[in-house]
Amino acid sequence: MKILIINSGSSSIKYQLLDMNKKEVLTKGTIEKIGMQGAFLLNTRNDGDEVKLIGEIVDHQAGIEYLLGALISKDHGSLKSLDELDAVGHRVVHGGETFKGNVLINDKVIQKIEEVAELAPLHNPPNLKGIYAIKELMPNLAQVGVFDTAFHQTMPEYAYMYAIPYSLYKKYGLRRYGFHGTSHKYVSHRACELLKVPLNKQRIITCHLGNGASITAVKFGISVDTSMGLTPVEGMIMGTRSGDLDLGVLTFIMNKEEIGVASANTLINKHSGMLGISGVSSDMREVKEAALDGNRRAKLALKMFSYRIKKYIGAYCAAMGGMDIVVFTGGIGENDRSTRMEVCENMEFLGIKMDKERNNSVRKKEGIISSDDSLVKVIVISTNEELVIAEDTMDILRDHNLT
Amino acid sequence: MERIEPIEKYALKSSSDSRSKSDNFTKIGIVGCGILGQEIAKMVSSYGVDVVFLEVSKNKITDAIKGISRDLKSMIKRWGMTESDKRAILSRIRGTLDYHDLTGCEVVIESVKSRTREDSVDMRKRIFREIEKVVEPNTIIATNSTTLVITELSAELKYPERCVSLHFISPAGEVPLVEVARSLHTSDEAYKRVCRFTRLLGKRIVPVVESPGIISTRLIAPMINEACAILMEGVAEMYDIDDTMKIGYGFPLGPFEMADKIGLDMVVRWLDNLYREFGDIKYKASPMLKKRVRANLLGREAGLGFYRYDEEGKKIMPERHETC
Repeated sequence: MKILIINSGSSSIKYQLLDMNKKEVLTKGTIEKIGMQGAFLLNTRNDGDEVKLIGEIVDHQAGIEYLLGALISKDHGSLKSLDELDAVGHRVVHGGETFKGNVLINDKVIQKIEEVAELAPLHNPPNLKGIYAIKELMPNLAQVGVFDTAFHQTMPEYAYMYAIPYSLYKKYGLRRYGFHGTSHKYVSHRACELLKVPLNKQRIITCHLGNGASITAVKFGISVDTSMGLTPVEGMIMGTRSGDLDLGVLTFIMNKEEIGVASANTLINKHSGMLGISGVSSDMREVKEAALDGNRRAKLALKMFSYRIKKYIGAYCAAMGGMDIVVFTGGIGENDRSTRMEVCENMEFLGIKMDKERNNSVRKKEGIISSDDSLVKVIVISTNEELVIAEDTMDILRDHNLT
Repeated sequence: MERIEPIEKYALKSSSDSRSKSDNFTKIGIVGCGILGQEIAKMVSSYGVDVVFLEVSKNKITDAIKGISRDLKSMIKRWGMTESDKRAILSRIRGTLDYHDLTGCEVVIESVKSRTREDSVDMRKRIFREIEKVVEPNTIIATNSTTLVITELSAELKYPERCVSLHFISPAGEVPLVEVARSLHTSDEAYKRVCRFTRLLGKRIVPVVESPGIISTRLIAPMINEACAILMEGVAEMYDIDDTMKIGYGFPLGPFEMADKIGLDMVVRWLDNLYREFGDIKYKASPMLKKRVRANLLGREAGLGFYRYDEEGKKIMPERHETC
């Protein structure tokens, strides 16, 4: 079984070709600057062969055509012919309420994804471009849509609703959807696998901390609450996003600074978060460096970052009636031991007891970082969204007897 | 070791050659980079498209780049974009003195400023001819002018069917609407392509039949003119007239503020052109406008028009006479 995973952005495409029998990545790559000058495709095969293809890539379809060409090429390919491909799995950001799970793509599904695009105007349209392109180039190949929001569709109504007039929910579908679903799903499963405990008996809090960050309460295998909402701006403090914010602050700013909706959007999505507080950078490493040099605002940003996570862990622990496992993942979760330590400090009353040495030694790898007598296991997992998308794609194929 | 190869040889055999380069927009030309030209350059580049603008001197090129930079900076200050957005936008904009640098553009927009009507028509016709010499036969050539009709400007071209009037309203980056007019020669194909281009820029397209002043100019110019008449008759103070239209009818700017923003010389030229085309007295430019233009009080850009402006172009509120 060979599955191609496509993550299609506004002017870029990331891809991976996986052999699902061996669970191994055959090739991965990226296409950048689609439709612009300086466009290129970077293809890396698992044996280390790397090639950069440069030239005009007029649109997503052309990009995908070249990537397929590269996959079957004599010098850099991993396939003899495209017939070896069993399916394409697409990452689709927003599935709205329409898609509670992943789906086999057909014309009707495409139309529904188009309808949902209103909720994610920046993400869904490029995702769709990838789908159109494959449909055009290989009309008979099975395509599966894997949604960032799908894992969170199990949230109960009282957790996903906003306390705004109900009519607005009915009219526009305004509610919390949550994101990073594939990651939260994968790390919660993987944690149980490593700890050798049954998923359906665990109350897990998964912290996906990267440039975007979200926390999910996974109770007995399903998502019951998550920190991101209708859009990814809710919840954690992120690289450039504010996270939770009193709405009065935003209307105050809009009024005083005389700015419109577009600028307000940029303000909370691009000028805020770690960058906004520290004034240094949106990159955690740079903020840390500045804090070490004594920058007061950088120190404050770091403090705020971990405090917000701590608060959410407390909240989700209460929401689930306790917790058994805390998972850290994402660039910051996997590599930043001091943030992990700060988040888990003084949480003994909730059953978290960290092992400092273990925490210091886990970097860019999986491992338990709580002490042996800690009631709650704290564990670091490297997220692997492509693998989840590929596995989900397999599941859908099986459901439809396509394997 | 990373190797570099041309991508073309990786095209699939089933490749659809029909998707030619002309379906895509990667490079846009602008001739004349005054305020509106700068706004168009900035907006187009913000969509990831390369922009080449043509100016008449090195100084003008520097001024235009400076103007765009200043605008982007003020957008950052007002939370509208980030430093890296600004760098990316600027990196795609380039000024030139040579028409040949427009080669390869999919669309070229003429956006020059001129003093008199005769000058204006002849100069634009010449510009259109120069553009045609260096671009592909199907490259869209557009004018941003509203009071001059595109049929006249494109009449002497070899391929007039690719010409349209594409009227962006200032500030082009913020106003999500464009008036698109076709000439007697414009082909359906060219019209559709230019609509696709403007949709890419996130604009609502208002299709218009070619007519001097089309919609926007024909409505805004007489309103400014009428406001001058009200002021001249001593009916009300300038700022009260502005407030009436702003508060009363929800205009973002009052007629005098609007005139200052557009440039009084421009308003007079619009009115002159409309008067010449329609012969209606309502288009006869008010002496208040003409007097100011003669005195070089041209509006916000000049620092003085109906109102006075500080260095950042912010209006200095005149002293109000409290009468009630």
